[in-house]
Amino acid sequence: MKKLVILTSDALEIIRALNAAELVAGVNSGTEENPLFWPKLKDLPKVGRWNGPNYELIAGLNPDLVIGYAGRPGPEMEKKLSPFGITVLRLNFYKIKTLAKEVKILGSILKKEKEAKEFADWYQQKIELIQDRIRKIDKLPNVYIESYTDYHSTGPGSGADEMCAYAGGHNISSGFAIPYPEVTPEWVVAKNPDIIVKAASIGRCYQIPKPDKLKNIRTGIIKRPAWDNISAVRKGKVYVLANDIWTGPMAIVGISYMAKWFHPALFKDIDPVLIHKEYLKKFQKIKYSGVYVYP
Amino acid sequence: MNTESSDIHKEYRNLTGKKTAFIILLFILLLFSAIIGISKGALSIGMFDSIKAIFKDSGTAHAIVWKLRLPRVIMAILVGGGLGFAGTVFQAVLKNPLASPYTLGIASGAGFGAVVAILFGSGIASEYLVPGFAFFFALTSSFFILGISGIKGPSSETMILAGIATMFLFSSLTSFFQYMGTMEQVHEVVFWFFGSLSRAGWKEIGLAGAMILLPFPFIMKMSWDFNLLSAGDEAAKALGVNVKRIKITSIILASLITSGVICFTGIIGFIGLVAPHICRMLIGSDHRFLLPASALTGAVVVLAADTLGRTLWAPQVIPIGIMTSFIGVPFFFYLLMKKTKEYW
Repeated sequence: MKKLVILTSDALEIIRALNAAELVAGVNSGTEENPLFWPKLKDLPKVGRWNGPNYELIAGLNPDLVIGYAGRPGPEMEKKLSPFGITVLRLNFYKIKTLAKEVKILGSILKKEKEAKEFADWYQQKIELIQDRIRKIDKLPNVYIESYTDYHSTGPGSGADEMCAYAGGHNISSGFAIPYPEVTPEWVVAKNPDIIVKAASIGRCYQIPKPDKLKNIRTGIIKRPAWDNISAVRKGKVYVLANDIWTGPMAIVGISYMAKWFHPALFKDIDPVLIHKEYLKKFQKIKYSGVYVYP
Repeated sequence: MNTESSDIHKEYRNLTGKKTAFIILLFILLLFSAIIGISKGALSIGMFDSIKAIFKDSGTAHAIVWKLRLPRVIMAILVGGGLGFAGTVFQAVLKNPLASPYTLGIASGAGFGAVVAILFGSGIASEYLVPGFAFFFALTSSFFILGISGIKGPSSETMILAGIATMFLFSSLTSFFQYMGTMEQVHEVVFWFFGSLSRAGWKEIGLAGAMILLPFPFIMKMSWDFNLLSAGDEAAKALGVNVKRIKITSIILASLITSGVICFTGIIGFIGLVAPHICRMLIGSDHRFLLPASALTGAVVVLAADTLGRTLWAPQVIPIGIMTSFIGVPFFFYLLMKKTKEYW
């Protein structure tokens, strides 16, 4: 493989982790909007949005391989690119369960097996450490995880539900039928969760210097009518976690934060910031920066 | 002569009596729906305990009923009432059975405002950012159309066509921004469009209530003029109606009501279109009765839809925008099939 076009920022992170950034010939247009996180890759040719790229621009770059998500863009991508002899590879890199496997697949395609193994091992080791400890607990705390939209919870099929399980929490919405159902504020009061985690969409976290936005979101939740009756609110166990560490390769950072919130005594020795710093330095070759959680 | 005129008077009194009775009936139905709405929820608090809890100033039951259930029920009434009322005004002024509170592009204007706030305002943490933008752009679209009709004259055709064009413009802008957005943002926008009453608190009720209720008396005062307008602009003019002024004032007021409704709840479709039709089929088109009846019908339908939406599939909520159509459409079809004479 000589030339790659990468449509998703998740895949681009993995490419950089595999020391394969020099193979990239084109990136999605969002890369430009996060220049500090992509100091070198931001200047590469842009080929459009992750969900609707410009196939002419891709063909013009004449790559050997294009990487996009499994579902989007749709099957038209193969149809449009196969006449040019361009192969489409679909890898998600946002599901925790399959991440290590996908990294190894990409590693073998790019002949970067050593790097892929190093990444997968690091990742698995972080996950396993948390799993080993939470296996010994018999009662998991009840957690209400709210998606980016107010009063839309996170049921099965959502990334949050998966992360909550890895972090040793019992998601009170895990019995639902759909991923992001609306619930009434009263239902949350009735369920009386021990911990509340709110997903916050605040933009490119890496470039945000102060936690003001996250702080305001937390205040808004605490002040919701009648929510002072909820145990999590009374005990101050309301946490805000920003979009960049929810899904994608950095979900491991989000999981570490959650595990610590759910079981503070059990994970006293774990510092999510250190894990985050290690990930950025070791695999992304950039310095730690930005805000991701509050408090 | 004398006996004949007293017969007509009697018949007239009889007719208005029936219409008044219909409105009283709707009011009782609304009260009944409100009591059911207040007694349903995730915590089982019985009907009498729920009502008692409104007045008792302590305990969890009081907090739940006073801070969560009652505001939700009142918001549903305000929203349904406002949309039914505004819908009747738009149909009267534009003289078109397809007119609704959204005909002048208000809904797509509001939707566009919400998208802008969600995409670019993620940093400005104010709970009023999305409602504020939605309100602003909703009014912008209707004022834009009023501006056009100020130049071209306020004919129904001009306003409806300009409304449709504005609607498409704002929808395309919304789609464009959605296309630009990240996966999270797209998600948020989609949910906003479903509509929700979960965010309704007393503060929102105060703001929405003012925007919805203040125009009510002014519009009611114009109900005779609406009746005359239905005979045609020229005829109304001949009868002394200042057609231009009536049209513009009532559209401004009805737009204010509509914007006040959707900025806090998202887009709750359909009810503003059918509530007036339902009432027109049942009591005719005398606006002195049609306006309050449509408001009450809208309120009953939205309240019932919300109560069903949060109990049928509990604890998952079926969004109010979807549920309103689910129960409104079948009822509307039923009346449409049953109706024998032309009512419009």
